[in-house]
Amino acid sequence: MPFWLRVPLVLALLIGGYFGLFALLGVVLERYFLLTGFGPDRAASAGAAMALGAEITLKLTLISGLAGLVIGVFAGMFRLSRRAWVRLPASFYIWVTRGTPLLVQILFAYNALPLLLKPLWPEAQQVLTPYWAAFIALSFNVGAYNAEVVRAGIQAIPKGQWEAAWSLGLSPADTMRFVILPQALRIVVPPLVNNVVALLKDSSLASVIALTELALSGQRIISATFRPVEVYLAVAAIYLLLTTVLTSFTNLLEKRLQTAGR
Amino acid sequence: MKRVLLLLAVLGLAVALAQVRSLDQIKRSGEIRIGTEGAFPPFNYFDEKNQLVGFEIDLGNAIAKRLGLKPVWITQAFDSLLIQLNQGRFDFVIASHGITEERAKAVDFTNPHYCTGGVIVSKKGGPKTAKDLQGKVVGVQIGTTYMEAAQKIPGIKQVRTYQKDPDALQDLLSGRLDAWITDRFVAKEAIKERKLENTLQVGELVFQEKVAMAVAKGNKSVLQALNQALSDLMKDGTYAQISKKWFGEDVRCK
Repeated sequence: MPFWLRVPLVLALLIGGYFGLFALLGVVLERYFLLTGFGPDRAASAGAAMALGAEITLKLTLISGLAGLVIGVFAGMFRLSRRAWVRLPASFYIWVTRGTPLLVQILFAYNALPLLLKPLWPEAQQVLTPYWAAFIALSFNVGAYNAEVVRAGIQAIPKGQWEAAWSLGLSPADTMRFVILPQALRIVVPPLVNNVVALLKDSSLASVIALTELALSGQRIISATFRPVEVYLAVAAIYLLLTTVLTSFTNLLEKRLQTAGR
Repeated sequence: MKRVLLLLAVLGLAVALAQVRSLDQIKRSGEIRIGTEGAFPPFNYFDEKNQLVGFEIDLGNAIAKRLGLKPVWITQAFDSLLIQLNQGRFDFVIASHGITEERAKAVDFTNPHYCTGGVIVSKKGGPKTAKDLQGKVVGVQIGTTYMEAAQKIPGIKQVRTYQKDPDALQDLLSGRLDAWITDRFVAKEAIKERKLENTLQVGELVFQEKVAMAVAKGNKSVLQALNQALSDLMKDGTYAQISKKWFGEDVRCK
């Protein structure tokens, strides 16, 4: 199949699969809640609410995972810089982010950040809804962990590669971009994937700022029905499903990168 | 966790007082923002159609209508509602806050919009009165006035705190708790919702309390408007009608 045909086809399949997954999830959940003794109306709304919560969880994970990747690559490179004014801010960011709990970071992004930004940006409180506050906290959190992974990956490339590139007359920036990073990124894919899977589970902490993702939509159903066992069972199963879907995609990616590397 | 919230509260209080809107500013915008929890049936919760409903939601809407404003509902975690009130995220909070000295230091309460009490819930044959609780394990929801009340009853073996009332109920059913202390309306709703009439019994009132709406500290104009609107609704029968709809009785303080 030609390339120009394959790209839109794969994209269409992905988008269709995405919406299909959550529509199916809603139906399955409704059946499950009916079986566990919920009333028909409650089962339907609980199924729909939890499917929506699952979609918010996945979407939040994907966008903050992507942002965290960009942050991580730059912070990881900057940490290895020989210039102190590049290295120190990156080290500081990684130190603070890895040294404080994500729960506190999420609470901080929602409750304190708008007030601190207020002098510069008066609308911060309106803009930083629970969703965007969670996005900021999660992407900066995963970014710091990614940075350490990227740093380890760069340091894993033998010194001879640098020397060879320099002897060919490449500048340090070009060496990084064309020689080191392509090799390093292949090494760091498995640990980066690990971080994204952890991120998906960590996103449940966003429920403390009342973002209606999967965990909170479950809690809301519990507070109206007083049935923690049935609902938490479903919540856990959906997280497992989402992480499984995510890892099966990234496994595919890893395989591709490996064959391309040989 | 508690300490973190406290820290954020202090931080918030210091910088945020200016953001709280007065009645004039609210009237100019045409919308009044109301904070609630959305997880406390039958007062404020998400129903079968996933809509925010309940006694306090109906009451809040009636008050907004009385003031000629459009209500905008914002749901947040119970233990951070009063913090965010002082940050100006909403104009007032209606979320079944019992009036306590501690809370009255942080926010200003309106006149009470209903009266309730904490009851002892246990399995049939279990403790029914405060005296029966000697040497027993009791469960309560964290951060509530029931938690404080339970801790004051002498002779209790242990008071376990839970994030949410349903978790305490679950432990009561599985035998890890001898009793669960909660709001009498919550107990009624839980027993009805899970059809536990033959398993559980509701014992005596442990304490009574007045429940009120809250506005940010010092926001007098909004406080007065809310008090006026509430007393109007109580006089013209709207309040009685809403209360009958949810409880079959008039729950105003006598």
